[in-house]
Amino acid sequence: MATLTQEKTRSDQDLTVEQKVQKLRALYADAPELGTVALEKGLADLRREMAAPPRRENAGRLGARQGQVSEFTLIFPFREGGAKRLRGLLQLTQGNFQLADKVGTVHDMRFVFLDNDTKLLFATAYDGDWDPYIEDFQSKIPDALDILLCNFEGFPGLRNPSIKDWLAKHQVSADAWYVASPKLTAAETRRLERVGQALDEFLDKIGK
Amino acid sequence: MATQTVTRPKKNQTVEDKIQQLRQVYADAPQYVKTALENGLPAMLSDSSEEQASRSESAGRIGIRQGKVSELTVIAPFAPGGAKRLRAVLRLLNGNFRAGKKVGTLHNMRFVFLDNDTKFLFATAYDGEWDPYIEDFATKIPDDMDIIFSAFEGWPGIRSPKVKDWIAEHQIAADGWYVAHPDLTVAETAQMKRVGKAVDEFLDKISG
Repeated sequence: MATLTQEKTRSDQDLTVEQKVQKLRALYADAPELGTVALEKGLADLRREMAAPPRRENAGRLGARQGQVSEFTLIFPFREGGAKRLRGLLQLTQGNFQLADKVGTVHDMRFVFLDNDTKLLFATAYDGDWDPYIEDFQSKIPDALDILLCNFEGFPGLRNPSIKDWLAKHQVSADAWYVASPKLTAAETRRLERVGQALDEFLDKIGK
Repeated sequence: MATQTVTRPKKNQTVEDKIQQLRQVYADAPQYVKTALENGLPAMLSDSSEEQASRSESAGRIGIRQGKVSELTVIAPFAPGGAKRLRAVLRLLNGNFRAGKKVGTLHNMRFVFLDNDTKFLFATAYDGEWDPYIEDFATKIPDDMDIIFSAFEGWPGIRSPKVKDWIAEHQIAADGWYVAHPDLTVAETAQMKRVGKAVDEFLDKISG
């Protein structure tokens, strides 16, 4: 599956922009009318996008990356009682996730209950590659993760050597991933915030 | 879906009350998790006691917000042929989404195919409130929206007065949402990057 997709991607890359446009038109021939119309109207922009060098990168084992920032998207089936426990936990911690600050490489993170509380969507934006990211969680907040993940079927425990395989099994890689500031890690953002504050103080001083 | 089984924590609840409640919520969890819970309690306790009020706020019509940054999570079923079209479009774009920049309030965005290409997950982190965000998409990149979203069942078209209802109907609000830098909008981040660069140049000059 993965190799097939890659081969197709490569062959798409050999196409000229005009060939790509032809391919899109063929694809949208049987789309709902508003899609076909939008395609023609949007072609100027699409041509520019398709002429640009590929920006899609991989985050290592699984997932997409743009520049420094990667996506991690997982869907876990709840074990019995798991949904109730997790909802209770999220409500009692009242949206405070300062533990995630400890990891240091997380940009954002969401928990979404799906399909009548039978599954959970967990999606994050993070810095760098898959393996070190998982290891950061393992070494920095193992207890918090056991508390969260024990609510899902088959969770082996965070310290179990099979944990990475278990996570990979539930991950669904994004087919496309956009990041507004792909060069900014969470750490670099913190540094820039400090630079901005220091500059404001400096300007205040010389303005007096 | 929105009805929640666990009562929301009361404002005047003490940390001790919360610990008791968490222990109850986890009463039938495996033993190693109970151990993790006891180990993790000090950190979680500081999480929820540091700021009395809940940090998660509403993003408006649907979804939650932390500071200035909100989450939007949509899962929609594909129309016949939609998955094939969308996959081909995404492949031809190959990671290029300058359309995302045009929206101006978009931090990140992922496109994920689910359940054997029968459903699609669209998840973004964005600035501010739901209504202006959807309007940004509608006014700034209407054609891109129709090219992509015409792949889904029942998409009324971005210019349709029903489009907000369609999105709201397919959106699933997160139960938990963490943002590393909740005080930074996309625009402020861009500004901060410019300031950082100018400061670096300035320091280079005075040291050179």
